[in-house]
Amino acid sequence: MATLALKSVKKAFGDTTVIQNMDLSVEHGELVVFVGPSGCGKSTLLRMIAGLETLTAGEIHIDGQRIDYQPPSNRGIAMVFQSYALYPHKDVRGNLGFSLKHAKVDKAEIDKRVNIAADILGLQDLMSRKPRELSGGQRQRVAIGRAIVREPKVFLFDEPLSNLDAALRVHMRVEILKLHQRLKNTMVYVTHDQVEAMTLADRIVVFRNGSVEQVGTPLELYRQPANQFVAGFIGSPAMNFLKARCVDGHIALGSDRVCDCPQAEEGDVTLGMRPEHLKIDENGQLQGEVQVFEHLGGEAFVHLTLDDGQNLVAKLDGEHYLRPGERCTLGIEPEKCHVFDTAGLRISTD
Amino acid sequence: MRRVRDQLSITAIHAVLIAWTLLALFPLVLIVVNSLKTRKAIFGDPLGLPTGKALSFKGYESVMTNSDFPLFFGNSLIVTCVSLFLILLFGAMAAHAVSEYEFKGNTFISLYLIVGIMVPIRLGTVALLNLIVDLGLANTLTALILVYTAQGLPVAIFIFTEFLRSVSREIKDSARIDGLSEYRIFFEVVLPLVRPVIATVAVFSMIPIWNDLWFPLILSPGEDTRTVTLGVQQFIGQYTVKWGSVLASLSVAILPVLVMYVIFSRQLIRGITTGAVKG
Repeated sequence: MATLALKSVKKAFGDTTVIQNMDLSVEHGELVVFVGPSGCGKSTLLRMIAGLETLTAGEIHIDGQRIDYQPPSNRGIAMVFQSYALYPHKDVRGNLGFSLKHAKVDKAEIDKRVNIAADILGLQDLMSRKPRELSGGQRQRVAIGRAIVREPKVFLFDEPLSNLDAALRVHMRVEILKLHQRLKNTMVYVTHDQVEAMTLADRIVVFRNGSVEQVGTPLELYRQPANQFVAGFIGSPAMNFLKARCVDGHIALGSDRVCDCPQAEEGDVTLGMRPEHLKIDENGQLQGEVQVFEHLGGEAFVHLTLDDGQNLVAKLDGEHYLRPGERCTLGIEPEKCHVFDTAGLRISTD
Repeated sequence: MRRVRDQLSITAIHAVLIAWTLLALFPLVLIVVNSLKTRKAIFGDPLGLPTGKALSFKGYESVMTNSDFPLFFGNSLIVTCVSLFLILLFGAMAAHAVSEYEFKGNTFISLYLIVGIMVPIRLGTVALLNLIVDLGLANTLTALILVYTAQGLPVAIFIFTEFLRSVSREIKDSARIDGLSEYRIFFEVVLPLVRPVIATVAVFSMIPIWNDLWFPLILSPGEDTRTVTLGVQQFIGQYTVKWGSVLASLSVAILPVLVMYVIFSRQLIRGITTGAVKG
């Protein structure tokens, strides 16, 4: 159990700033997910916490102690990498115990901790295998086991599931969640996959171009995205954005009123609607022609071109069936609409 | 029809390979075969087999008993092994430094280390001789070891650099988090991953050193410091050449290179087939 605090952390490579004045605090036992598109600086920040990259400015504290000038091994962290980074010439037992052996921990203690980790992750039958004899999921479990054995204050995960196939990824996601519930450690998890972020996180930090766009619980981010970027990033399929106008205290799409406008002045706004909130409704405000209809069995995605030429995706339940070229009318409850100003910031509807 | 054509092409490939093998092995076999014959038989029938009257171990006898051959052999072994060890150690370390760490002048230093490939070391023989004499190392094995190490390093660094760049950064980072020093990361994590490359560099560096006549002749021609290639010259007189002994010593001299090659090449194949570099 430990807290992690970043204070005005900055990182620049030459003239390029990749992390701008970052302030963040992670509570005891919290699982915080850094999410954002590739190249947004989230992995760099994780490597800075780990001590693999230097800080250009700022401080990092774990449990109130400043650690940013300490070598990685003294920071009380353990890291799980995307490529597993196992030592190919050592067997599973050797991989698990390597850091302890190096730290000259007592042999009996090493055995004890290695066995505990192996039990947690179900690795007991694989102890004498080399990494090349393991499947992707098993390798990732060994990599996680190697982190557990170190008994760190903070776990760092750098896109640990990206190399796994889809089914295994879902499985390992649940395993990591169970692990967190069992160990109750502070964890920082980096991913570009918003589904992983939504399912795992106590809190999500959304990154873009080296700065934080929003910090909040998954539901906060889903229900009250601070801006258009977060709104588009969280949720799958992504939120629809339509050009609309604020007239007479209402948001109007063409001549139809969609919802109340929270701001007083009139002008252009962006209307955000999640595909899952759109429903087939004969009295709805959104009329258009079906372009593509994807049926997934239990649910279906309809891609629509509205009469004013804007495109829209709606998620319908699996009972519907539409053909390309058919007309379709959709509606949405006014309180489910999100309104953003021209700068992309959310205009509060509360 | 197709099967016949496949068969034909396989036969053709094998014919070429067999012809090449025979061509490469012919001089070696000739040396070994003739080293087992009498002087008369060597000249009378150079291609004949050592049977009946032609068979003679006199060459080997005189090499083993009447000459300093075992000493020369030992010298060659010491010079080759020590140089090889130094080339592999320093070559891999230098390559690790330029491929792993970012520092000012990195590109310049890696070019400087590699540029030696383009300059034949024999061009500097006179300067080297002066230097070795000034250092008081003339007629010592140390002189040879130093020169051979310098000679082998550029190629070794070149090959190592390319392969060390391919070692996953995450494995090294993971070792850093495990608390290993940079030296231990190099010896315990990086080197085991590039074992096949070590074998490759070893084979490339070993043979020119073992076979060299030039530097032993110039830097250490003394009785006690001769290598095999130089030692063999004692059987070649101005008026008579003891061909039996020359061929016998050459035959024996082939052995260690062969043994080392077999060791390294097996390592090389094993390394490649197990895909040790894959994380």
